[in-house]
Amino acid sequence: MGALLKISIRNIHRHSRRTLSSAVTIAAGLTMFIFMNSMYKGMDYAAIDNMINLTTSSVKIHTQSYIKEKKSLPLDYGIDTYDSLTAYLASNQKVKSFTRRTEFLGQLSNYTDALPVVGTVVDPSSDTTVFNLHKYLEGEFFPGKSEKEIIIGRSLARELNVSVGDFVTLQALTRYESHNADEFIITGLINSSDPNLNKNTLFITYQDANIFLDLDNLITEIDLQVFRNQNLNIMTQEMEQVGTSIENHFSNLKTATFKELGAAFFEMAKQKQSFGMIFMLLILLIASVGIFNTVLMSVYERIREIGILRSHGMRGFDVMIMFCTEGFITGLLGSTLGLIIGSVANSFLIYKGFPLEAFAGNVNTTGMPVWGTIYGEWNPDVMFFAFIFGVVTATLAGLIPAYKASKMNIIETLRFV
Amino acid sequence: MLVLENIKKAYRKGDQIFNALNGVTAEINKGEFMAIVGPSGSGKSTLLNILGCLDTPTEGNVLYDGAELGKMSENELSSYRKKHIAFIFQSYNLIPVLTVRENIELPLVIDKVRTKKEISQKVMLMIEAVGLSGLQDRFPRELSGGQEQRVAIARALVKDPLLVLADEPTANLDSVTAEEIISLMKGINKTMNTTFLFSTHDPLVQKYAQRIAVLKDGLICSDERK
Ligand SMILES: Nc1ncnc2c1ncn2[C@@H]1O[C@H](COP(=O)(O)OP(=O)(O)OP(=O)(O)O)[C@@H](O)[C@H]1O
Ligand SMILES: [Mg+2]
Repeated sequence: MGALLKISIRNIHRHSRRTLSSAVTIAAGLTMFIFMNSMYKGMDYAAIDNMINLTTSSVKIHTQSYIKEKKSLPLDYGIDTYDSLTAYLASNQKVKSFTRRTEFLGQLSNYTDALPVVGTVVDPSSDTTVFNLHKYLEGEFFPGKSEKEIIIGRSLARELNVSVGDFVTLQALTRYESHNADEFIITGLINSSDPNLNKNTLFITYQDANIFLDLDNLITEIDLQVFRNQNLNIMTQEMEQVGTSIENHFSNLKTATFKELGAAFFEMAKQKQSFGMIFMLLILLIASVGIFNTVLMSVYERIREIGILRSHGMRGFDVMIMFCTEGFITGLLGSTLGLIIGSVANSFLIYKGFPLEAFAGNVNTTGMPVWGTIYGEWNPDVMFFAFIFGVVTATLAGLIPAYKASKMNIIETLRFV
Repeated sequence: MLVLENIKKAYRKGDQIFNALNGVTAEINKGEFMAIVGPSGSGKSTLLNILGCLDTPTEGNVLYDGAELGKMSENELSSYRKKHIAFIFQSYNLIPVLTVRENIELPLVIDKVRTKKEISQKVMLMIEAVGLSGLQDRFPRELSGGQEQRVAIARALVKDPLLVLADEPTANLDSVTAEEIISLMKGINKTMNTTFLFSTHDPLVQKYAQRIAVLKDGLICSDERK
């Protein structure tokens, strides 16, 4: 056994260039795998980030009675413990920011056509700390230059054939169920990655809504963000903890995290995941072909050596062990290298990010699930798996030709060149 | 010591059957220095391979001290080779990544019987015997053909085999080196009483043989002791 190991190590050492090229192949495969996996997870996370920042926030808070009637978006069942709730949220270490919102149903018209819309009353000063709507805007986010400013979805604006600076008429039922209509001036158009948001939504301020909807500062919804965590699972857990503690403190309130709110999204993500799995398998397949090829070649080069050893009475089994050892050591080298390079590449992805815009260009990417810069994620289990995969594949790659050679006629192996 | 009973070897080429050996019968005694000669294709290598358990005859028996090779399993044959048989090849067949010393000790290391100290003593003895003192730490590629073949001889003899089989051991060497090698083998044969069986085309080499068997078309047509 000692002799076998010696020959293996000598071979690895003597053919250091070949060993290096095998190791580099393995490393390249692993790096690609680790990087792509991180990228893929990052894309998922980016999509979730988008969702959290555009629509769901981390946790939404309503009263329990509001939830029951939520479908009709009633101007009723407001949060009457608003002051104590905000005081509580401000003192909660896990809560990064929060804002108030009130949703209502209405109709928007350009004097000829009218379209149904979901309106949202926002507090411009705090809304931007929770949502990043203002980043997806053509125009301005409530500049306050005039009275009755409105922001609407860009697709909606197209249908109504209006643009920034134009006037539109908004009709809705007030809090006391009387019809009201008024003219608003468009200051911004939403062009986001969420087609729904672009199509049938509008935003106005509490200042205007208090008059237009007779709102009297009725607040039906609080949105909050927790601090972002590199690890999505930890972040989700924190959201759930915040939600539960709010429900414990305020018995009439009901909370929902982005997970519950974005259930449809996660259904879709599941399908995407199986696609991602196939993609990852493909990368692994390519990597293993590379690994097999290099290790296989180095064994074939030495089939004669197998013949020599066997002519001295070495058993086929020992021969196999020897070549497996070589594959194993090469695999170990390559996998370690791959882990290092993969980690470096991944840390770039994690700390610097991958600018998707730079690749997609400035084209209209409406409907695209991801947007902006993608950040990677550390996945210790994936890295561990990749490492084991590299070692096992390389060992197997040594095993197969060695097995064949150990079963070959010795005279033939001796003639082998 | 070694008995060949009507050895036949047939190779199948397509649907034709070609008989490389047609019934070789012979008896080889301990300490003999025997050459097998004959034209190319007469079956010399085939015969040596069969005697070295690298190949199996289609028909006939090989008996070592009464033990029948044909009845042994693959592992038993490996073990038999390991203990009793050594090869010297025309193309030396040293392991390129091992030094002279490591190449020579290889059969003992594979055998796993002797201690490290015994092995290194034995190896130094062999290195001296084949005249390679001072070269023990070189790698095969740093040696001449004659030196490589000396290493191969030392490697063959290190385990005190019953039988050394050498298939054209001097064919790759010039005549002066060839004579050196064959006289080295002869010397070892005399001092250690090791049995040698080698095939050759070289008349010079035949001069040293104590017994010459002529093989023709897979049959021994003459077998003479000097
Ligand atoms: N694996 C094989 N398959 C088919 N035929 C073979 C095989 N090995 C040897 N032969 C044939 O058997 C015959 C004997 O071959 P062998 O190698 O024993 O000859 P040889 O006497 O050693 O010749 P040389 O002096 O050229 O080395 C040859 O005709 C050869 O073509
Ligand atoms: Mg031959």
